[in-house]
Amino acid sequence: MIERIRNADVSTPPAVVIRVDDREIEALPGESLVAALLASGRLVFKHSPRADAARGPFCLMGVCQDCLVELDGMPVLACQEPVRAGMAVRLLAPPR
Amino acid sequence: MSGTFDVAVVGAGVNGGTTALFLARGGMRVAVVDKGPICREASGVNAGTLTMQMTRVALIPFALEAHAMWASAASWLGHDVGVVVCDGLSLAFTEREAALLTERAGKRREAGAPIEIIDGQHALAIEPGLSDKVLIAGHCRVDGYANAYLTGLAYRRALLEAGVALFENRRVIGVDRDGGAWSLATAAGPIRARRVVLAGGVWLEAMAAWFGVRLPIKTLVNQLSVTERVAPAMRTVIGIASGLLSLKQYPHGTVVIGGGWQGVGDRETGETAIVAESLIGNVRLACHTIPALARSRIARAWAGFEAETADALPAVGALPGVDDVHVIGSVHSGYTSGPYIAKLLAGQLLGEAPRRSLAPFDPARLVTA
Amino acid sequence: MTDILVIGGGPAGMAAAATAARHGAHATLIDEQARPGGQVYRAMPASFAVAGDLGPDHAAGEALRAELAASGARLALGERVWNVRPGFRVDTLARDGPRRYEAPAVIIATGTTERHVPFPGWTMPGVIGLAAATIMLKAQRLLPGRRVVVAGSGPLLAAVAYGIVKSGGDVVAVIDAAKRAEWLRQGPRLLARPDLLMRGSAWMAALRRKGVPWLFGHVVTAARGGSQQVEAVEIAALDREGKPASTRRPLDCDALAIGYGLVPNCDLARLLGAPHAYRAERGGWIAARDDDLRSSLPGLYLAGDGAGISGAVAAEIEGRLAALAALADLGTLSAREAAGLAAPLRTHRRRAARFGSAMAELMAARPALYGAIAAGCTVCRCEDVPRAEIDAAIDAGARDVNQLKAWTRAGMGPCQGKICGEAVASLVAEHVGSRQAAGMFTARPPLRPLPTEALIGTFDYADIPIPKPAPL
Repeated sequence: MIERIRNADVSTPPAVVIRVDDREIEALPGESLVAALLASGRLVFKHSPRADAARGPFCLMGVCQDCLVELDGMPVLACQEPVRAGMAVRLLAPPR
Repeated sequence: MSGTFDVAVVGAGVNGGTTALFLARGGMRVAVVDKGPICREASGVNAGTLTMQMTRVALIPFALEAHAMWASAASWLGHDVGVVVCDGLSLAFTEREAALLTERAGKRREAGAPIEIIDGQHALAIEPGLSDKVLIAGHCRVDGYANAYLTGLAYRRALLEAGVALFENRRVIGVDRDGGAWSLATAAGPIRARRVVLAGGVWLEAMAAWFGVRLPIKTLVNQLSVTERVAPAMRTVIGIASGLLSLKQYPHGTVVIGGGWQGVGDRETGETAIVAESLIGNVRLACHTIPALARSRIARAWAGFEAETADALPAVGALPGVDDVHVIGSVHSGYTSGPYIAKLLAGQLLGEAPRRSLAPFDPARLVTA
Repeated sequence: MTDILVIGGGPAGMAAAATAARHGAHATLIDEQARPGGQVYRAMPASFAVAGDLGPDHAAGEALRAELAASGARLALGERVWNVRPGFRVDTLARDGPRRYEAPAVIIATGTTERHVPFPGWTMPGVIGLAAATIMLKAQRLLPGRRVVVAGSGPLLAAVAYGIVKSGGDVVAVIDAAKRAEWLRQGPRLLARPDLLMRGSAWMAALRRKGVPWLFGHVVTAARGGSQQVEAVEIAALDREGKPASTRRPLDCDALAIGYGLVPNCDLARLLGAPHAYRAERGGWIAARDDDLRSSLPGLYLAGDGAGISGAVAAEIEGRLAALAALADLGTLSAREAAGLAAPLRTHRRRAARFGSAMAELMAARPALYGAIAAGCTVCRCEDVPRAEIDAAIDAGARDVNQLKAWTRAGMGPCQGKICGEAVASLVAEHVGSRQAAGMFTARPPLRPLPTEALIGTFDYADIPIPKPAPL
């Protein structure tokens, strides 16, 4: 289970709401979208092209392309995209 | 390999490979020599378009035959290059393009290409993802495309099965006369053959020079790009009347964007580089044509060398003034027409009765003093 | 108007840009992240506020960021470089569209990516890289899991395992491909940085106190799970030849963080045509450089791990040295001044590099592990290409990685071979004799996938330059 680390070393801003596949989740403004998605429990982002195998974020640094999502209809890497209140995200894998 | 081959083909692209294949099946002992891996140059990196709508009028009869060959590749090549036969559309967005298209489609139709002019609405019906700004389109039901990067593997298997001696990564640096045969000099030793076929693409000029013949070949540096796999966005192979776009989506989902936008390159060093403005212009055309492509990502861009003669028609036939040396190249839309032209050349070398004359492509017309 | 373009905002890039600007050059630093730091000094989001002491790495990163901010260097952040041309011209994609930079001098400081060894189940959700785990812990404030297996090779193992435990998670075990003897062999070089050695030892002691087993000479051989994510891994000891033994042992977990070292990012330098050679002990393919960090191309300088792994501290020093060389070549500093400033840096670099090179050896490629990849195991993640298809292409005559790519699609996906490249090259190298002979995927732009809409911007059809028609 991916969890947020909460301790006194770092204080985070108040959470905002973003839409992911028609559901609302909480996210921290300025954090990477992939962090918000992982923290909300989404591990499966898409399926592989030939084997149709479940895939999720792997490298978190813009290399593996497995965190590709749709933001306002456009393909973006969730690990390179900062959270903004109200953003509308679709994952390429349907939610289960 | 010792001994003297009947024919040595220099250049393992589609032209050289197909010539060698039919020569070998005709009973000759054949060597194919390439400075690099098989089909690494134009034949392996082009857009794979098989279309009548960009083919020179004089080449239409050859392209029709070659198209049939590609469509039945299983029967003569024996290995898969991912050929898809499908509708082709050549688009006009402006009045000028419409006039150009009408004139050219007409000439191509006269030459035998099954092209009809349709209006924008009809084009939209054939290609639902198309821009609504199309005025008219040329429609050919038997256009299509192949997968260029599969070409090398397919030809390699076919050539080896036919008993051809394939020498990859073996650069020919010159020729000598050796008794009644030609001796091709390479760093790893000579390759001797009674006859030579030069199929060297943009390097044909340098090859002709080995024999003291001046055959100027212009080098085009064609840029291409490809998206990552995207949801189905198109089902035809598309061009624009101006000629600056080729567009197709492969069954696995990637979209290849081409059209002859120029990069920079040097055939001496073999290096190419992408020109950003050409990439942007090319991709703009693609998105203007299939708007859904704006939601894709460009995964890769590359450039390859295309050979062109002074009159933009092929150079096929005997090298003037030199015994036992032939050339085949600069076929223009070489991937489309190459297999048939190569088959004809092989037939000629085998002494068969010619099915179609290659006289219009006589290299003698191109040789300069 | 830029004199010196610095590409990459890690320790080498930050130090290079700050040094160049401080001495009066117009320096521009380009980095794809919103805040500089690269991977090792990766910053948290600007919206997070640091209250406590986050350790020496964080402090070092903050210090460099502050130096950079005060230096007067221009920062082009959140921009992805996708093309470079000699002379130099650099094309980037910023959030609001394409940009272009031109400068007579370029310092490439693009760092490294992680090396991965495919194994059955490595593509499952819940399996992440070691570098990814450090990003989660340091920059995203996330725990990769409640019961994490940490595996692979190199210094990141201890950093990740300790980071997880310190943040309240459990590490099931550390699975270290290096045998104890390999670590001991590096002892003398590790002593060049007693502070880092002590820190690493303290981490390992803390893990021991928590009862976390550290299995030397072991590897993860498979990850298993339900339909959606990893639930257990399988491990094996390495035999004398470095191959996984046949006896396998299961470990339950809810996450696996695994990585096998760092590989220099050399695609930019290769795109410019700088000649490269394969040096396993430096991390892989690297460009030739002189003692002042000049490449063989005029105006091009290479600093940091992207030019050969020496570690973060050496990277920072190299950034400064590269800037001094560029300043001297541009005439902004006299050769004597630059040499005088460089002299003490060279001494520090030698010492720092000793530690870095020990780490580089511990995380160098392990060919035996690639040999052990199962036939049905996915090697190219993007295109779902299993080892069996790669082997078939090699059997059919593919003799270099580019031919293999053309015949299998391995490396043709959006990651452009950055994840699978090491595995593909190792499999080819087995048959052609060496990594050098196997070659590299040809460097081509765009260096990262480009969002098409951002690339094309708004345009009129009439603006697209159309040449005269081809002959009919």
